[in-house]
Amino acid sequence: MLHRLSFVPGRLLQSVPVAFGVTLLVFFLAHLLPGNAALALLGQRATPESVAALTEQLGLNKPLWEQYLLFLKQLGQGNLGTSLTYQSPVTGLVLGAIPVTLTLLAYALVLSLAISIPLSALASFRPGGGRDLGVRAFTLLGQGMPQFWVGIMLILLLAVGLRTFPVGGYGETAGEHLYFLFLPSLTLAIAMSPTIIRSLRSSMITVLESDYVGTAKSKGASGVSLLTGHVLRNAAIPTVSVIGVNLGYLVGGSLVIERVFALPGLGSLMINSIFTRDFPTVQGVTLFVALFVVVVGILTDVIYTILDPRVDLGRASSA
Amino acid sequence: MSRRVGAAATAIVTALALAGCSGGGTAAGGAGGATGAPVKGGTLTMARSADIISMDKTTTFDNNSIRVMEQIMEPLFHASPDGTKVEPWLATGYQASADGLTYTITLRDGITFSNGSPMTSADVKFSIDENTKTAETGWGFINSAIASVAATTPKTVTVKLKYAWAPLIADLALFANGIVPNNYGGKTSAQFYDAPVGTGPFVWGGWKKGQSVSVKANPTYWQAGKPHLDGVTWTVVADASTRKLQVQGGQVDIDDTPDWSSLASLKSASGVKAVTYPSTQIDYIAFNQKRAPFDDVHVRRAVSMVIDRDALVKAVLFGNGQPAYSLLSPGTPYFDKAAGGAKLDVAGAKAELAKSSKPNGFTTSLLIPSGNPNQASVAQIMQSELSAIGITMTIKPLDPTANKQARLASDFDMTTSAWTMDIPDPDEWTSFAVDPTGGSHSAFTYYNNQDVIAINKQAQKVNDPTKRQDLYSQLQKQVSQDAFLAYLYYSPYVYATTDKVEGFTVTPLGTYPLQDVYKTK
Repeated sequence: MLHRLSFVPGRLLQSVPVAFGVTLLVFFLAHLLPGNAALALLGQRATPESVAALTEQLGLNKPLWEQYLLFLKQLGQGNLGTSLTYQSPVTGLVLGAIPVTLTLLAYALVLSLAISIPLSALASFRPGGGRDLGVRAFTLLGQGMPQFWVGIMLILLLAVGLRTFPVGGYGETAGEHLYFLFLPSLTLAIAMSPTIIRSLRSSMITVLESDYVGTAKSKGASGVSLLTGHVLRNAAIPTVSVIGVNLGYLVGGSLVIERVFALPGLGSLMINSIFTRDFPTVQGVTLFVALFVVVVGILTDVIYTILDPRVDLGRASSA
Repeated sequence: MSRRVGAAATAIVTALALAGCSGGGTAAGGAGGATGAPVKGGTLTMARSADIISMDKTTTFDNNSIRVMEQIMEPLFHASPDGTKVEPWLATGYQASADGLTYTITLRDGITFSNGSPMTSADVKFSIDENTKTAETGWGFINSAIASVAATTPKTVTVKLKYAWAPLIADLALFANGIVPNNYGGKTSAQFYDAPVGTGPFVWGGWKKGQSVSVKANPTYWQAGKPHLDGVTWTVVADASTRKLQVQGGQVDIDDTPDWSSLASLKSASGVKAVTYPSTQIDYIAFNQKRAPFDDVHVRRAVSMVIDRDALVKAVLFGNGQPAYSLLSPGTPYFDKAAGGAKLDVAGAKAELAKSSKPNGFTTSLLIPSGNPNQASVAQIMQSELSAIGITMTIKPLDPTANKQARLASDFDMTTSAWTMDIPDPDEWTSFAVDPTGGSHSAFTYYNNQDVIAINKQAQKVNDPTKRQDLYSQLQKQVSQDAFLAYLYYSPYVYATTDKVEGFTVTPLGTYPLQDVYKTK
């Protein structure tokens, strides 16, 4: 088993230049935006003199390459620099926001699976039947509705109308976090599950038609035991990579959802930092998101390898 | 691998794109009175669009931060509830010398900081001096007339001025001149402002960056029996619809600045009060006189006269506000309602244009901040109005910081902008707006009228309110004639609260004294 995961260290090494490349790209892209943090901080009283003085005080008058080298140097020391807006370490800001976004994403993933697996099974047992049509209609709707709209509708129904859930916020305790994050996670799950259902449904149909499932059926397996014992593992393989790719997009979706639900996560931090030209913070968030997406990619392949003994990425990549 | 990098790139590009299409709006008119005996206890929660930045009162220009620090640190004087006068606060009064160069300020007895130490003149001297030091990048410019501050006796402070300066007492009412312990109580300024200490009704609670900031009641506040609340928490809720829903759902007590479009539905919602309070905000169009044809007064007048301000109030503010006809807002001292700002007169506008260097019209552009629905409506209405007199106007939206950059670099033809006062004296705004040496080339217009500059300088030196009124009236009339700005409207502040909140009121300067607020059960 372990030898088939031998590709992991290599892939982790590859992620270093990827993350480095992303920070480089974002650093120079961000600096194409007109205006700097001094201007954002000084508000309506900004004068050319005060902007120049604060620009110098913040070290923003140095050449760009020098600022980037400083960023790399600090990064080498495990330090993401100082936020220009808050005048406090970026590491602290990013570390404060990470749990919010990661919990949101994980929660959304769990809810997506809780929605997708039963619905896919329901649809695939009799393709073309009434249930299948119902599920396919749901996937169309789920993909068609904009996320922010779904979020606001859920708030109106469950938070303002029934007052079952809070209208945004993050809560204080772990229990509260799960309670406060339910609606935003559900919103993301509604957006993500159509893709999973489509993939899972079609692979389940294929698997259900295969000979070994016929054998299992003839031995008396049916319903849930057939699904968990024989179908799901094989049908899951293509879906795992679909989920892996979509988690990256989900990070993008969470930016919007964090705003609608007032969550203090990476998305909110990123958007505010771009507005205020707080580039060290933008860099910090970017670096984390890049690493996150790369790691999810590697994890996807690991799960893939575990699920399907025929896959051997170690050999493929060394070839 | 490449698919995943693509996904990461998409996430980042989404963030950058979102930055390009968002922003905020401000507003302002009304009332809020308490009935019955105040109820003790409870925490007030207010949802606002953005987080605080810092508690350093000398260098922070962000209103969200300022509203919090005002609950903790108090100045010697403060603006009266209607915003037109200055009243003693931590001081009991002052005496000015005959030449207007020396002010002797008497401090109130029995004031202690929340750390227990009594407030003395040494603390006052230190606090004002600390602010003065930040002239370059902070609020210190407001103290530029001060030559020295001396702690004459433990209860008296003597302020010597470089020149006669009528706005001094109003300047001392600015939060940036709020009183903190001498030498920051032995801390560095950075350490001190991490958990500031003052004489205010509330003491520092804590700050979860990006999420919330809170203060707790100061049990030893000098006004006996206040504050009524146990504490106040400001939460960050960027989205206006979410803030509205939160106050409707009872999750927060106050929604700071709901959208104008949602005001009617908030007013009719049960359990919610939506109230407007008069502000000092004036929204205007600035003409860049460095660019032709805006160096021509007839062109500026023509543009000013073609704007239908009543239509703007209706379309942009949903009827909440007034058309603006003066440089000063009605909530500012020495406002003159006969200032003669341009009124809608299409025939007059055509006549002015005929007299100008561009009798047949021209092509120009209007710079606006992106993501601000109010400014976008103003731009669209102006675009159609200007076309009626042969002026073709394109709209240039830029995100707020890029927008400021363009103004600073004088890279615009016309731009929308707004001003709100921080002190109860017109000088803060008039010097910024009409004096090219006031720091911003006359509010980025490069307007330069020597007569107006002279009147403004004279009004800084005269202490007699009647004479000052006369000078500021002259100034308001002259700048209206010169049409260096096209005034648009005065918008009130607007807040939505649940019906449990009592005593909440906002001054024209935007401050809200929370020591008087309480929540009914």
